[in-house]
Amino acid sequence: MLQVNDLDVFYGDAQALWRVSITVGSGEVVSIVGPNGAGKSTLVNSIIGILRPRQGRIVLDDQDLTDVPGHKVCRAGIAIVPEGRRLFPAMSVEGNLDLGAFNRAARGHQAQSLDWVHTLFPRLAERKDQLAGSLSGGEQQMLAVGRALMARPRVLLMDEPSLGLAPVVVDEVFDVIEAVRGEGVGVLLVEQNVQRALDVSSRAYLLAEGRVVMEGDATEMASNPELRKSVLGI
Amino acid sequence: MRHKGWLALAGIAVALVALPAIRHAADFPMFYLIFLSGILFWTAQSTSWNILSGYSGYFSFGQGAFFGVGVYTMAVLFGRQGMTWWVAAAARGIASMLLGLAIGTIAFRLRSLRGEIFALLTLAIPFILASVARLSKSIDGGQGIVIPVPEAPSFLSQFQEFVFVLSGVVALFALAVAYGMQHTRYGWALFTIRDDEDVAEGLGVPTFFHKMIAIGVTGLIAGVSGAVFALQLGFVSVEGTFNLDVPLFVIVMSVLGGRGHWAGPAVGAIYVYTLQNRLASGGFEGWSLIVLGVILVLVMLLAPQGLMAGFRRRPWLSAGVFVVIFLGLWLFGVTSDPVTSLAVALGVTAVIAFIPGGRKRLAEVDADAGRPSVHHAPVGDEPVAESVGSGRRLLVARDVVKTFGGVRALRGVSMTVHEGELVGLVGPNGSGKTTLVNVLSGSLPPTSGAISLNETAIVGSKPHRIAHLGIARTYQIPRPFTSLTVRDNVAIAIMFGREPLGLDASRRAAVEYLDLVGLGGRADALPGEINLHQRQLLEMARAIATRPSLLLLDEALAGLNPVEIDNAVEVVQRIRRSGVSIVLVEHVLRVVNQLATRIVVLDQGAELAEGEPAVVMRDPAVVKAYLGRQADAAGE
Amino acid sequence: MIELQAAVSGALNGSLFALMALGLSLAWGFLKVINLAHFAMILLAAYLTFELATSTGLSPIATIVVTAPLMFLIGALIQLGYERFDVSELNSLLISYGLLIITVQVVTNIWTADFQRLPSEINPYSAESVGIGSLRFPVPTLLAAGFAVVLVVAAALVLDRTYAGRALQAFGQDREIASAFGIDHRLLGVLLAGAAGTSAAIAGMLFPIGGTLTPDLPFEWIGQVFAIVILGGIGNVAGTLYAGLLVGAISGLVAVVWTPSTAPFVVFSLVVLALVFRPKGLFPQKGG
Repeated sequence: MLQVNDLDVFYGDAQALWRVSITVGSGEVVSIVGPNGAGKSTLVNSIIGILRPRQGRIVLDDQDLTDVPGHKVCRAGIAIVPEGRRLFPAMSVEGNLDLGAFNRAARGHQAQSLDWVHTLFPRLAERKDQLAGSLSGGEQQMLAVGRALMARPRVLLMDEPSLGLAPVVVDEVFDVIEAVRGEGVGVLLVEQNVQRALDVSSRAYLLAEGRVVMEGDATEMASNPELRKSVLGI
Repeated sequence: MRHKGWLALAGIAVALVALPAIRHAADFPMFYLIFLSGILFWTAQSTSWNILSGYSGYFSFGQGAFFGVGVYTMAVLFGRQGMTWWVAAAARGIASMLLGLAIGTIAFRLRSLRGEIFALLTLAIPFILASVARLSKSIDGGQGIVIPVPEAPSFLSQFQEFVFVLSGVVALFALAVAYGMQHTRYGWALFTIRDDEDVAEGLGVPTFFHKMIAIGVTGLIAGVSGAVFALQLGFVSVEGTFNLDVPLFVIVMSVLGGRGHWAGPAVGAIYVYTLQNRLASGGFEGWSLIVLGVILVLVMLLAPQGLMAGFRRRPWLSAGVFVVIFLGLWLFGVTSDPVTSLAVALGVTAVIAFIPGGRKRLAEVDADAGRPSVHHAPVGDEPVAESVGSGRRLLVARDVVKTFGGVRALRGVSMTVHEGELVGLVGPNGSGKTTLVNVLSGSLPPTSGAISLNETAIVGSKPHRIAHLGIARTYQIPRPFTSLTVRDNVAIAIMFGREPLGLDASRRAAVEYLDLVGLGGRADALPGEINLHQRQLLEMARAIATRPSLLLLDEALAGLNPVEIDNAVEVVQRIRRSGVSIVLVEHVLRVVNQLATRIVVLDQGAELAEGEPAVVMRDPAVVKAYLGRQADAAGE
Repeated sequence: MIELQAAVSGALNGSLFALMALGLSLAWGFLKVINLAHFAMILLAAYLTFELATSTGLSPIATIVVTAPLMFLIGALIQLGYERFDVSELNSLLISYGLLIITVQVVTNIWTADFQRLPSEINPYSAESVGIGSLRFPVPTLLAAGFAVVLVVAAALVLDRTYAGRALQAFGQDREIASAFGIDHRLLGVLLAGAAGTSAAIAGMLFPIGGTLTPDLPFEWIGQVFAIVILGGIGNVAGTLYAGLLVGAISGLVAVVWTPSTAPFVVFSLVVLALVFRPKGLFPQKGG
C-alpha cells in the first residue's frame, strides 16, 4: 500500500502541490484526473524521487521513502511509466527491458520478469532487437509499461499513457492496465482522458491547481457534474 | 555615477602623463616606470578580452591569435622601407580587428556554435595561425626584424618614458571603451546576450551585430596594444606569434579581477603582474604558472564574481586597508622595495574582498531616477480599447505545419487575430499550443505555411526583426536576465524595442511598465530576489515594453495560487486596455473563459473548434477531447 | 606511392589521437564535462613512463602497471570534484584549463623543458620498422595503432555488451529516467572518469616510445583531438576511431601534397564545415 500524506512540492519558490494525500492499495487502480497544469505529473515525479517534497511523507508498506535518494526509490518497489514514454531511444526493445530490471531488487529475477512481460506483450518478444525509437506509438507505450514491470514493482505509476495515441491503441493500453491490476500490482494512473480513466479505476482523485478537490469511488465521480465543471472551466 | 567614472579615468590620464616628470624630479629608478608599463600593457589586453568574453559570455582562448596576427602583420610591413611605427601600429590594430570580424562572421552565424564550442574553436586558432606563419619564415629570416623607433615628444627625454606614455594611452583607451560600453546600450546588449541570448534576440536585440562589435573592438585594442609591446622589445619575430602566455594571463586577470565590471580586468592585471614580478625576483619563476593555475581554479570554484564584487561591497575598508599597508610598509622601510609592499597590500586587500558579507549589492542607478507615484495609468496615448477593436486583421497564419523529426506537432493550423482581441488558445496536453507560439514569435521556423503581421510576411525573419514589427512573447517558465535588475530588464526592452530610447531615458520609462504590472516597488531587485509570480509579471512588463501590437502570453499563470491568478488576470486586462492585442495560451480554463473574446481549441496539432468561450466549451468535439468519449452522455 | 604511404602512416598516427580523444569524448557526451585535464593526465603519464623506464630499466610498456591505476584514481578524483562543486559544462572548460596549466608547469619544473628521449637500450622499438607490401611503418606507430584499436573495441564492447555499459548509455540518453530505474549516476560517472584516466595512461605511455617529450606537447594535441571529437560525434566510440583515421590520413596527405604546416588549417576547415552541416558528427550512430 502506497500512502502519500500532506505533500507540499515546490519548483524553486513556486508551490505546485498543497497538502496532497492519496493512497493506492495493492491490486487497485487509482486515477488522478484534473486539468492540465494541476500538478498531476508533479505528484508522480515526487513519488518516484525525481522531485523532492518540501513537506509531507511518502510511505510504501511501512517503508518511509520521502528522503530516499532518487535512484534508490525504484529498489523499494515503485516503478514509473513516464509521460511521453521516455524510452532509451538508441537501444533495442530488449535493451530497454533489461535496464528496467537494473535496480538491485529486480536484478536477480531478470529472466522470469522478461518471460512475464513477453506473455503480457507478445509483440515486444517479436520485436526484441528493434530500436525503441523506431516503434509505433502504441508499441512504445507497451515497451514503457514492460520496462517498468521489469523492475518488479509493487506500485506502478503511469503518467498519461494515452497521450498522443489513436483511440484503438488507447483501448489496448487500457487492456494492459487491467492485466497489470490482475497480477496484484497497484496502479496509480494519471490521465487526461477522464472517462476512460474512471472506467478502469476503483477510486479516483480530482486534482486542480495543486490541490485534491474531490475524491472517492470512481463510478460516482464519473456521474458527478462538478467534475465536468472543474475540468472544462464552465 | 556617470561622471565619477570619466573623472577617474581623466585623473589617471593626468597622473600617467605627469609621472615621467615626477620621476625626474624625485629621481625614481626607471624600473618602476617599466613595471607600470607592464601593468598598462596587460590592462589593455585583459580589458579587451573581457569586452568579448566577460561581457558577452563568448569565452575565448584565442587572445594569443590577436597578438600573433599583429606580430605577423608588423613583421611583413617592416620588410618594406619607409614604414613608420605609427602606420605599422595602426595596421596591426586593423589586422587584428579584421581577424576578429572574420572569426565572428563564421562563428556567430552558426546556431550550434554557442559557448563551449566557440571556446574550443578559439583554442585552435592560434595554432592554425602559427603554422601559417611558419610557412613564411622567409619574412623575417628567422631572426626577427628590428623596429624603427618613432620620434618621441621633447618632454619625454627617455625612450622608456615614451613607451610608458604610449602604453598608458592604449590602456586608457581600452578602459574608456569598456567603461563606455558598460554604461551604454552596446555593453547592455552584450550582458543580455550573456544571460540569455535567445530571449535577447526575441526582445529586439540584434545579437549578431553586437557580438561582431565586441569581437572587432577586442581585436583592435589587442592589436594596437601589441604594437606598443613590440616597440618595447625593439623587434618582432615570427616566432612571437606562437604565444601561450597571453591567453592564460588575460583569462586569469579577468576572472580574478571580475568579468562583470569594466575595471575588473585592470585590477586583475595589477594583481597578477605584481605577483609574477615578485615571484620572478624571488627566483620562483617555475612557480608562477602553477600559482596562476591554482588561482584560476580556486576563483572559478569559490568566488566566480572576482575581486571587484568584493571591493564594491566594502569600498572604503578595502581602499583604506590597501593604502595603509602599502604606504606603511614602504615608508617605514619594512620591505626592501615598494613593489613588495604593493604585493603584500594587494594580498591583504584580496582577503578582505573574498570574505562574504558586507554591503548588499549596490544599486546601479540613482535612487532618484524620477519615479512617479504608483498608479495604473494605461501606457501610451491610445484611448481605452473597446472589447471589439477596430476589427482589422492583425495576425494571419495560414496552414502552418511544424514537424520535429517524425512528429507532426502542427498539422496545418490557420488562425487570425484581429486588433483589440484577446484570443484564448487552449487544448489538451500535446496539442501544439506552445509550438504554435514559438512559430508565431519566430523562435522556430515553420516547416511550411504563411504568417503575416499587418500584411507583412514574417516567416524566415530573424526573431529581433519580428519583435520590431510588433510581436512580443512571454515564456512559460520566466527567463529574466539574471544579472540585471527588474528595472533594467524592462529598460533593455525599451532600448532595443520599436521606439528605442537611450540608456537613461529607457530606465526612466521602464518604471511606467513596472507600475502597470504592479512591480514598481521592486524595481531595483534582482530577478533571483523576487518570487515566481513577480517574475511572471516581469515577463509581461518586459514584453509590453517593446510596444508590441500583439502579445503572446505562454501559460503566464503556471504555478500560481488563486490569489495570484486573480491578480494576473487584472494585469492582463490592464494590458489589453492599453491597446495591445493578446493571444493567451492557458490551461486554467476558468480564467480563459473570463478573459477571452474568442477561443481557439487545438487538439493534436490541428484546430478543433473556434468561437465564443461559452459556445466552444460545450461543443461535443471539445468536450470529448478534454474528458474522453462518453462524457457528453454522462453528466448533464 | 608517396601519397599512399603518407595517407596510411597518417591514418595510423591518427589512431593514437583517436585514443586520446576517446576518454575526452565519452566524458563530454555522458557526463557533460569538457575535461582539458585529460591532456594533463596524458602528459603526466608520458613523463612517468619515461621516468620509470629510465630509472628502473623496465620496458616502457611495463610501466603501465603503475600509471594506469594512478591515472584512474586521478580521473575519478577530478570527476568527484566536478560533482561536488556542481560545475557547468562551460566552467569545466576553464577549470580544467587551469589544471592543465598547473600540470604543464609542474612537469617542466621536475623534468625541465628540454627534449627528453628514451635511450634505445630501454626502448627497442624506436629504431625499428616493419614493411607491409611496399609500405614501411615504424614500430611505435603500429604499436600505437594497435593499442588504439584494442581500446576502442574494448570501450565499444563494454558499452554495448555489459550491463553497466548499457546503464551508462541509458544515462547518457535520459538522465532522469535512468535514475528513476536505479542507475546511480554519481558512481557511474566516477567510474567512467577513472576509465578515461586509464585510457590517458595508455596514450601517455605511447609517446615516449614513439618520440621525444617536451612539456608543451598538450598544446599541440588539443586542436587535433578536439577536431576528432567533433568530427566523430561527441560520445560516439566508433566514430572517434573513424574520425581519427580520417583526420590522420588527411593530415598526412596534405603534408606531402602541400606542406606540413597547411594540415592544421585543412583540418580546422573540416571541423567548421562539419559544425555547419553535420553538428552531430560525420558518423552518426543508429537511433541518433
